[in-house]
Amino acid sequence: MKQRRIIAAVGFALVASVVAAACGGGSGSGSEGGTPTKGGTIHILSNGEQIAHLDPQRNYTGDDLAFVGSTMQRTLTSYKYAAGDEGSTIVPDLATDLGTHNEDGTVWSFTLRDGGTFEDGTEITCADVAYGVSRTWASDVITDGPTYASTYIDAGKYPGPYKATAAEQAAFDKAVSCDGKTITFNLSVPVADFNYTTTLLAFSPVPKAADTGEKYDMRPVASGPYKIESYTIGKSLVLVRNENWNKDSDPVRSANPDSFVYEFGLDEAVMDERMIKDAGDDQLAVSAGIQPENLPTIFDDEAFKSRRVDYYDPFVSYTNLNVKNLSCVEIRKAIYLALDREALRKAGGGPYTGDFADGFIKPALALDYKKSTMPDGLNADGTANVEAAQAAMTAAETACPEVAAHAKDGLAFYRPATPVWDKAVAIWIDSLGKVGIKLKDEPVEPSVYWPTVMNPETNYDIARGGWAPDWANASTVIPELFTTAGGFNLTRNAGDPDYAEFQTKIDAAKKELDRAKQGVMWQELNQYVVDRLWALPGTFTKAQSIWGSKVGNAYQWAPFGAFNYGDLYVKS
Amino acid sequence: MSPDVVLSVRNLSVVFHTSDGDVVAVNDVSFDLRSGETLGIVGESGSGKSVTASSIMRLNNSNTASTTGSIIVSGVDVLTAEEDEVRRIRGSEVAMIFQDPLSALNPYYTVGKQIAEAYLVHHPQASKADARVVTLEMLKKVGIPNPEKRIDEFPHQFSGGMRQRIVIAIALINNPKVLIADEPTTALDVTVQAQILDLMNELQTEFQMAIVLITHDLGVIAEAALDVLVMYGGRIVERSSVEALFSEPTHPYAWGLLGAVNSLGKSDRGALVTIAGSPPSLIALPTGCSFNPRCGYAMEICTAEVPSLREIGSQGSVSACHLPDDQILTIGRKAASL
Amino acid sequence: MFMFILRRVFFALVLLLAVSFFTYMLFAMLPSDPAALTCGKNCKPDVIAANRIRLGYDKSLFEQYWLFLKGIFVGRDYGTGAAAFSCGAPSLGYSFGQHECVTTLITKTFPVTAYLSVGAFILWMLIGISSGSVAALNKGKWQDRAASIFTSVGVSLPTFYIGLLVLFSVVIWLRILPFPSYESPFVDFPTFLRTMILPWLVLAVLSAASYTRLTRNGMLEAMNEDFVRLGVAKGLTTKIILRRYVMRQALVPIVTIAGLDFAGLLGGAIITESVFSLPGMGKMSIRAVVESDLPVLVGTTMVAAVFIVVANVLVDIAYGYLDPRVRVK
Repeated sequence: MKQRRIIAAVGFALVASVVAAACGGGSGSGSEGGTPTKGGTIHILSNGEQIAHLDPQRNYTGDDLAFVGSTMQRTLTSYKYAAGDEGSTIVPDLATDLGTHNEDGTVWSFTLRDGGTFEDGTEITCADVAYGVSRTWASDVITDGPTYASTYIDAGKYPGPYKATAAEQAAFDKAVSCDGKTITFNLSVPVADFNYTTTLLAFSPVPKAADTGEKYDMRPVASGPYKIESYTIGKSLVLVRNENWNKDSDPVRSANPDSFVYEFGLDEAVMDERMIKDAGDDQLAVSAGIQPENLPTIFDDEAFKSRRVDYYDPFVSYTNLNVKNLSCVEIRKAIYLALDREALRKAGGGPYTGDFADGFIKPALALDYKKSTMPDGLNADGTANVEAAQAAMTAAETACPEVAAHAKDGLAFYRPATPVWDKAVAIWIDSLGKVGIKLKDEPVEPSVYWPTVMNPETNYDIARGGWAPDWANASTVIPELFTTAGGFNLTRNAGDPDYAEFQTKIDAAKKELDRAKQGVMWQELNQYVVDRLWALPGTFTKAQSIWGSKVGNAYQWAPFGAFNYGDLYVKS
Repeated sequence: MSPDVVLSVRNLSVVFHTSDGDVVAVNDVSFDLRSGETLGIVGESGSGKSVTASSIMRLNNSNTASTTGSIIVSGVDVLTAEEDEVRRIRGSEVAMIFQDPLSALNPYYTVGKQIAEAYLVHHPQASKADARVVTLEMLKKVGIPNPEKRIDEFPHQFSGGMRQRIVIAIALINNPKVLIADEPTTALDVTVQAQILDLMNELQTEFQMAIVLITHDLGVIAEAALDVLVMYGGRIVERSSVEALFSEPTHPYAWGLLGAVNSLGKSDRGALVTIAGSPPSLIALPTGCSFNPRCGYAMEICTAEVPSLREIGSQGSVSACHLPDDQILTIGRKAASL
Repeated sequence: MFMFILRRVFFALVLLLAVSFFTYMLFAMLPSDPAALTCGKNCKPDVIAANRIRLGYDKSLFEQYWLFLKGIFVGRDYGTGAAAFSCGAPSLGYSFGQHECVTTLITKTFPVTAYLSVGAFILWMLIGISSGSVAALNKGKWQDRAASIFTSVGVSLPTFYIGLLVLFSVVIWLRILPFPSYESPFVDFPTFLRTMILPWLVLAVLSAASYTRLTRNGMLEAMNEDFVRLGVAKGLTTKIILRRYVMRQALVPIVTIAGLDFAGLLGGAIITESVFSLPGMGKMSIRAVVESDLPVLVGTTMVAAVFIVVANVLVDIAYGYLDPRVRVK
């Protein structure tokens, strides 16, 4: 009995570390030439036990969206298969074009292509797309998925298709209407980039007759080039060609391999070793994420040059400052300049974890990114500038003596109670101590960290943040993180004297229907936040991946930080 | 060797190799045992009496003990014979009963099975049914009441005395020539002790076997044995008839033993002679006569020279003591009369 | 004997009830919030609240527990309207993480664990008892020293790293075997064997170490027993002595411990299953811990507890059979 308990404890620690390590992602370029060939089987090695959700309306995580969207499910629009930031470009998928909209962007219409079919050969209709979207309202069944549709589309108190009365359903059918092959979304707010929103699999078609609610997750009906042959959680997901998929109707996916085998439940060390060894079927495998101890092996050896990638994932890590408490910019600047970001990065794993961020929008969001002007005195190499920080602190003592006194007394520092953060906190305390700022460490149980800091009652001064856009437009970054209506604003900046101006600029950007102009507006807004340091940019995180020597055309697909599954091929 | 000698031990020495050094447990022991006779071996723990007994059946672990000399049973030298030969002798020619009848019986099998097993191993042609008949008969002989029922019971269901009867039954099932009884009554109640000794006497007559009776209890010797060996520090220090031992003991250690017995029995007389000190460490035996540190009559020579056995007195006693004969006889008689 | 078994079964049921109850309560005491852990990417407070209702954690703990108990006998219904579904009796709940009734999940994963356990157990008993016997019979010689090294190394080696090492060397480096991919023996027996051989061996060899010691010490202890000396004095052959006298005694504690170990194994060989990617119950349960999947956790814990409890009863009965001294009258 005693021995078993030890085994259980070890096993738990093991899996816990696996989960901790899995929180990366990856993107970037690593492709090489060659003519794509049809046929063969691509293997995906995974530490996970399953795909979180195969149900398109419930799928909301980078790699799963990329895989399912590449293979089984189509949406109205999707991303281009291209390495680097070009991958952030949207292209028509089920729709014939990127959609049409009215003057203010409150009504969006998409026309379905001819020839799109489900795996049983039936044609994908407008009703199937509308039904799919309608499922996202059923928040008691269709959980975990993005809720943009129900936020943007005014369908009254629609409870989703399972419980709706005839009247409620009629209200939805009016908000999301079908006219032949054209589906029209009537939005309650202007959404300039709604055709980016529709890249989410939440807009994938679902045949109503096949919907099994909660259980649809295990056996969704395919609209893409592959369908499920077998799916055993903890073992494998095998996809084979959907013979009814018509290439003419799908210009996006090249669908080269005959099948995909997703191998679940592999130990990470085993995955790495198999990929390094590159033998047998593993030559046909892709594996996202590499254990830190294997990074030097793979990245210092030119032998791996053609089958590795180290590129940005979609995440930005940053630190929220409570602007209500730290109400003058001088003190926020003092904190930023004093912080030894290089020491933090080193403690977290060094340069492989990411580059120092110059804002909150990543370079992969090509149209929206422009290098920001960082605060004077901020060292580009990430080290602390104690002198400049001290000067900022002195300025703060004049500008806002009460805030400075509060900082000297001790700032409440909220963070998840994990070993990684235990190390990081020590660096924070040490860094800020050099300019006389004290920190009160407030570790929070990891699973309730977000609910804790999102609770208005929690009076933190500093709280960590991390964000990835939901689609390749900074409209899902800057407004989400820094406006009062945003879903993830932990800066409590509503009282800042500049907030009203900021909100006006945001509203304008959200309504801007010219994508290029909108991008410039996001660049300016990003700089606006950096200038005021409502939050402190941390790193543009990176991820590393490796693939087998017989996998052709592999790269990190920027919008998801995942492999370009729909564009891989097996080298003959 | 005269024809009725069933066991002849010559120059038996047993050395145990331990991590603390070699231990001479038995040193140059010789004796003969005649059919129908009972030889008592008496001594304290560590005197070598039990090792002598187990040597006779070659039960000492050959990895840890070197046994030299010879032990002749039915013309076979047990010490040098092939394993199969020894195994044939064990149980059929020479049998043994142990001190603790509970631990001597296999707790996992019925007593009947254990007795029958001993029979079958030496009677390979016999069937299990035959063995059961013989076993039942033997159980009756050793005085187990209701043997038809009790044959299928387990050892823990028997009392101490009954268990020893079972052990005796196992020992005698093959009608051995020699029975080695190693402290057969020590673990038993006093009343039961007498019953067991009576039983052994009775069966000795019936089976005409020789018994080596090993004990630290002179009372048992007095009751059951004809001749006696007194052992000390691995050596024989006195050999005599029981009668002579109790009337004219010829070794200071024997005087001590008698004194201990007598003073127990006649406490008002006080302990004139008690055995001072404790038994010697076999690893570091005193030089000369092993008994010299505890001997009230020790002389200079006693620490220098091991006394050899010599005949003393008129009753055929043999003793290993440096004291002059007349002094030995005078003190011996005095010790016996106390 | 019948009353004895009846009494034991009754206590076993009470024990299982207590196990399920305490698993529930312990889980509730964990600082992590399952509703927050499983609400996906969009974890705003209202989403977490809705998720809590979906998972049933909005109800009081006692009500949750009552529904669980009821489900075992009458099954459980979930959801409403067109999205309703149910898990038939005996229902141990529904895993919202795996979209499947827990009872079904267990019936799928348990055979894997059972095959692993039975195979490894037979091997490890063979290895443990034979190496322990050889060591005891050659006490102090090289065989004994080898067994002693095997024992001390075997009990201290972590299954995880040895499993990985074996997997690396045999499968990835030397490529003697293909990478394990579990298949039911009724579907593809050769693949099944190829997959199971390494986990069987690793689990068996490492677990055998303590049985080597147990056997060796038990036999040496038995060899010093008077009754063994009497057996020798009877003139019995070495073979009979070893079998009926020495082994018979040494087996008693071995059977006891082995019974409990085997039951523990049936509850899930977590590390071995993880290293060798075997979709067994142990792997599923550890995953349930990480993902706060209470129904799966309680379900697998209950099944493991059933095995432990049943094994205890069987061991008690076996003990009485093996050792007449404790046999109940």
